Amino acid sequence: MRLGRYELKLEKRLTVSGWEAASISILAILFALALFSIIFVLAGINPLLAYREILSYAFANPFGLPPTINRFIFLLLCSFAFIIPFRAGLWNIGMAGQFYVGALAAFGVLYAFGGKVSRSADLPAEIVIPLMLLGAAVGGGVLGGIAGFLRGKLNINEIVVTMMLNFIAYWLVALMIKEGGAFMNPGGRGESFELPASVHAPLVSNVPFTLLLALGFAIYLYFLFARTKIGYQIRAHGLSPAAAQYAGVSTVKISILVFVVGGALAGMAGYHYFAAVPGVYKIARNYGYFGDLAFYGIICGLISLANPLAAIPVALLFAGLTVGGRFVQGQLSIGFGVDYALLGVLMITLVAFQFFYRYRLVLAKGPELEETVDVGVFR
Amino acid sequence: MLLEQVRHGETVLEARGITKRFPGVVANDGIHFEIRAGEIHAILGENGAGKTTLMNILFGLYQPDEGEIWIGGQQVKFRSPLDAIDLGIGMVHQNRRLVSAHSALENIILGHPKAGKILDLKRAEAEIGELCERYGFSVDLKAKVWQLAEGEKQVVEILKALYRGAKILILDEPTSALAPPETKKLLSSIQAMTQDELAIVPFITHKLPIVLAVSDRVTVLRQGKVTARLQTEGATEQSLAKEMVGREVIFRLERVKAEKGQPILQVEDLSAASDKGYLALKGVSFSICEGEIFGIAGISGNGQHELAEVLAGLRKAEAGTVWLDGTDITRASALERWRRGMGYVPAERVDVGSIGDFSLVENVTMNYYFDEDYCRGGVVRYRGIRRLTKEIVSEYSVATTGPDSKAKTLSGGNLQKLILGRVLSRKPRLLIANLPTQGLDVGATEFVRNKLIEAKKQKAGILLLSEDLDEILSLSDWVAPIYEGELMGIIPGEEARRDIVGALMAGSVTGGAAR
Repeated sequence: MRLGRYELKLEKRLTVSGWEAASISILAILFALALFSIIFVLAGINPLLAYREILSYAFANPFGLPPTINRFIFLLLCSFAFIIPFRAGLWNIGMAGQFYVGALAAFGVLYAFGGKVSRSADLPAEIVIPLMLLGAAVGGGVLGGIAGFLRGKLNINEIVVTMMLNFIAYWLVALMIKEGGAFMNPGGRGESFELPASVHAPLVSNVPFTLLLALGFAIYLYFLFARTKIGYQIRAHGLSPAAAQYAGVSTVKISILVFVVGGALAGMAGYHYFAAVPGVYKIARNYGYFGDLAFYGIICGLISLANPLAAIPVALLFAGLTVGGRFVQGQLSIGFGVDYALLGVLMITLVAFQFFYRYRLVLAKGPELEETVDVGVFR
Repeated sequence: MLLEQVRHGETVLEARGITKRFPGVVANDGIHFEIRAGEIHAILGENGAGKTTLMNILFGLYQPDEGEIWIGGQQVKFRSPLDAIDLGIGMVHQNRRLVSAHSALENIILGHPKAGKILDLKRAEAEIGELCERYGFSVDLKAKVWQLAEGEKQVVEILKALYRGAKILILDEPTSALAPPETKKLLSSIQAMTQDELAIVPFITHKLPIVLAVSDRVTVLRQGKVTARLQTEGATEQSLAKEMVGREVIFRLERVKAEKGQPILQVEDLSAASDKGYLALKGVSFSICEGEIFGIAGISGNGQHELAEVLAGLRKAEAGTVWLDGTDITRASALERWRRGMGYVPAERVDVGSIGDFSLVENVTMNYYFDEDYCRGGVVRYRGIRRLTKEIVSEYSVATTGPDSKAKTLSGGNLQKLILGRVLSRKPRLLIANLPTQGLDVGATEFVRNKLIEAKKQKAGILLLSEDLDEILSLSDWVAPIYEGELMGIIPGEEARRDIVGALMAGSVTGGAAR
């Protein structure tokens, strides 16, 4: 494209540094927000006002901030559930199912300890809470492990398996919490029995301890990929299974490992949302809404280029936008679901901006002045 | 069509000052040559000399930045390969561009203007049959391409170009995948074509003897420039290599007699299936001792790939036993074999031997992440591996910008040096080297062969699998021709004769009787 004496050219690029990737993502987010403001304008709303409302509610409001943080923890764990298999070249689309089964397993532990009897039952928290968390991890891990085993041993497509398991897990929850289910709330209402107050998850300055857990995982996973033997094997397998096998990496072991660990983290998200978020403390009737939200772990994982530390800001942004979007929708009486619409536009833009990982725009002076520089590789 | 009627010796194609630049590289720098009707004009050059770029320009895939192409006395511009084809240029790619599920005939007429919407397969078959007869090609036109041998696929590509009316035939590394008898047949076909005033332009990296045998003239490229234009008559293998590399090259390797040591590898009745499921390796038995090079000579697809993989632990043995230093390792994992001192240099250096998106350090890690000296408590000691990488890079003179650059930035020869250096740095007891010099230029080939000899001197047992008969004959203590998954004999290196081994690897049983 010509612009006066200058020419705008697309140039292929071979590598993208971390900072370049970050700036591409930020540009994409700004572009998406600009794009979405057209929708606000069409709805007769000042977009600047709307964005200010969204962000200030999500990040600076005493009522908005806690749900943002809780959703952030949830999204971060789901992002890891995607990232770990992804680094091994495998796609986990089953974080929703692993999340459901994790929640069921946590409530199973509680059930075994007699937690269903009464909300005021006095249970030993220091035993029950770790066991619930462990149960959630095992539950999610087992469901993930099925896909990992089938993929590693029999080469069955993991996307199909994890997706199908999502449906099974969804109806398994319904079976357990609705009419006649073992975890049914005594009052009916299509939700599970409530968590006794004695085993509510401990809060650290009003935030569930699962925040520390999720952030700890981010650091640990970063270290795992960068420095450890297991991390190396996973990364090698992700870039070239044939080369990894040549180097002695077992596809079966790696597939099972990444799906078990990924599933376990999604399972912990199930513990987090239904047993650690203040005010919930039960498998809620609209558990499917959170299952849908779990898929945003895929998007967060992709945008952060499967980097566990980069997933932190991305998950935080997504959490804030959904919470703030839902709020502003009521506040400004908008007739459509701002949260999902905004996420959708954001997603498409971010995917489209991946183009710039492979190309860069270059503003060059006109060709008559252009000089080819021989770097002299062959000289 | 500008080349309807050509007389012998008339210039049919002329390149004038072709220059093509890529970021950081001048791939072709003012290249000038002309091709005459009825001649075989070889273009010679090492990897990276600019041959591929030039070929792509002549076939219309790239536009030159500067320079002109003249055909039959008129300047032409190719916007796409279609223009080049229409003007009478035919191209036979090294990586075959055929639809493997279709028959040879269907492939030949694919894209032919005469084919139109309704296929007249009968007429096409008759016409192509005539071409076959004229130039001495024998290929089953009804066979599916995937059933054909490498040489037959090449014939299909040649027929496709001829049927399209090519007057100038560009051949990319025409003999690299052929057995000696197939090469012979191809050369006689090519000579028959020159009788009909076709111009044949083979692009060649190695296999200098072939250039000498058939070509009329040679143009040598080095670093993007033409360094020599000469009549083949009077040129020698030495003189051509010197022009290509820019220095003297030693061809004859002294066969080193190492002290015969303990047996390292013993293989008995080993069988393995191919990816398609049929038995590709049928009960081979042999053993390799310390300080021995055991050369397996064969044309690709005769089971040597399966043999290398089954020994490296990457493919299941259907039957038979493998011992390494007296231990049965038939069912051992690849990792365990590495730990026991086996080293494997795979033929697929880009897809299996390395990971393009990994840095050189991470690529070296492929053979070290399990090594206790470089991995403690599950944490990889990248600092140590980095030091090791630098040593390999300098010892093997790998041309790179540094140990942190990605492996995909390396040229084929440099990548092979890195892989070989990495595997040999483990000082393996047994080295499996599958096609270690395939596609490498003269300089890198010489280097790799010398490293193999060095490893042999240090008492490593080496299994060398190669399609290059000269390589096998000059390096091996034992020569075993392989044909359709069976060893046709095991011949002591000094007794192995070129013609006999060549016949055996083509499946001739009479050759087998002569041993």
